[in-house]
Amino acid sequence: MDNVLEKTGMKKSFGKSLLYTLPMFLITFMFMTGGKPNFSDPASALAVLTVFLLVNVLYFFMHYTGKTDRYRAVLFIIFALSLSYTLIHNMLEVRKSMSFSQADILECKIPFCHLVIPMMILPAVFTKSIIFPGSIIGGFANISSMVVLWLIATIVLGRGFCSWGCFYGGWDDGFSRIRKKPVIKKISELWRWMPFAVLIMVALTSALALMPTYCSWICPFKAVTEFEQVTSVESATKAGIFLSLFGGLVIALPVMTRKRTQCSFLCPMGAVNTLANKITPFTVKIDKNSCNECFKCVEVCPLYALTPADIKAGKVSLFCSKCGKCVDACPKKAINYGIRGIPAGTMKNFSRNLFLFVSFLFMAIFSAGSIISTFHGLLKLIF
Amino acid sequence: MTDSFILGLSSGSACLATCGMVLFPYLMAGSAGVKKIVIDLSLFMFTRFLIYFVMATFAWYFGQALFSNAVVRNIVPGILYIVFAILLVWYSIDKNREKDCPVKIVKTVNNQRLVPILLGIVNSFGFCPALFIILTKSATQGTLLQSYLAFLAFFIGSSLWFLPLPLAGKMKKKEVLQNIGILATGLAGIIFMIKGITNLIGGIING
Repeated sequence: MDNVLEKTGMKKSFGKSLLYTLPMFLITFMFMTGGKPNFSDPASALAVLTVFLLVNVLYFFMHYTGKTDRYRAVLFIIFALSLSYTLIHNMLEVRKSMSFSQADILECKIPFCHLVIPMMILPAVFTKSIIFPGSIIGGFANISSMVVLWLIATIVLGRGFCSWGCFYGGWDDGFSRIRKKPVIKKISELWRWMPFAVLIMVALTSALALMPTYCSWICPFKAVTEFEQVTSVESATKAGIFLSLFGGLVIALPVMTRKRTQCSFLCPMGAVNTLANKITPFTVKIDKNSCNECFKCVEVCPLYALTPADIKAGKVSLFCSKCGKCVDACPKKAINYGIRGIPAGTMKNFSRNLFLFVSFLFMAIFSAGSIISTFHGLLKLIF
Repeated sequence: MTDSFILGLSSGSACLATCGMVLFPYLMAGSAGVKKIVIDLSLFMFTRFLIYFVMATFAWYFGQALFSNAVVRNIVPGILYIVFAILLVWYSIDKNREKDCPVKIVKTVNNQRLVPILLGIVNSFGFCPALFIILTKSATQGTLLQSYLAFLAFFIGSSLWFLPLPLAGKMKKKEVLQNIGILATGLAGIIFMIKGITNLIGGIING
């Protein structure tokens, strides 16, 4: 395997890997410290240093080993865990509870997340109002900054956002890695379309009811972020749904299938990002001349984005989140990151370097704040 | 009205998945002009509308007579919602659903002018779980007007799928849309199952 990586140029020398890491090193340094490291609070300085080193070491290893997914996953999973920690910590500090009351809704104090975006569009067009009770500018997790960040990431990365930017994806990505072999191997391809059905349902119900129905009734991540206070049969039913979906789609099924089942079968944002894959400049390409149709890539793909038919046709489906698992698994190095317009099998190294730089930089910058805050909180707890 | 519209919208797609192969040849009428397709489609829709109007009236009066007690009004529909919702979910995952299309009876009719009306009648009376759910909802509404509105929302939701029928033959991703529609039907079933459970628990607590 190592010989193949060296031959195809994915694995780099120590010095060359350092050189490739240098721009990431400088940008993340500037972003995390503002150019002036602050040593007045040792816990804070240590948290920044740890996250800075973590990010750059992971990026270095991506170049040095030629492997993508395992290093991406480390940061991606830490991001998901730290964001939940930050959110919960923030809510416990402000509200003394993980649940929010009707007063919090009326005062627009609910933290915003990108999953609401598809539900906001129709009501915003027809009623010129935002149906989410969050802060538009300023405050914790405000609407405008999240929309802008998501928009940029989706245009550049397409569904790559689901593996490089989504702060929930790390949960089922993490659980999907627990078992070495799947218990459930065969799931019908039909289910890949479920996020589109969910998207249609939540977009319409939100437009008709003028409320974010996905957040109110479905979102499994309410179990690890914030949820409505249980005061009635309806709110108890909602809490039951959140917990069941989290337990089923984020924990149990990913463990049993080794796939990201919440992202594959439920997330409406995944459907929007899948459509965005049509316009993104980055893609994953199959070199038909090198492929021996062993279908190892189909087996490892966490989002059911690859089928034997796709491989035979030499095309990766729109469901691809560019996580790099298939690229790492291919024994013939027939699957590679590519750039639209450049034929498969050519400029593989350039395409991979460019994609890794853009996607990893986005993840590093996007996740840094919450990971630093989590490390800082943990350090304060320990000492 | 929202849930009735959503139910109509999602079950309309499953209805097409079930009966599409029978409906298409009549309503799309490959060689016929747009004018004929529009007239046939309008007749088909109008027939459905009239039948739903009658159904809403009957369902509401039937509901008034049957669910007079406030607790029964929650518990019985709650159970019915759950049963029909399970059937609706089953309907969406059943691979043999095309065999069940009632509209194929119309294949035996020779009078082409009557076909759109007959299709409308058979399609409306093709008792699918979604129709049972909307009948249950209609029966438990406070006023007759609300019952009509529930059926109207259901009618509009389900009719949206028939409007692009003249273009359906040219659609490349027909199968994908059908798959999404079938899954949406299952989701609608789950929504009504939750509604049923909430009704039932509410009814038991209040009782």
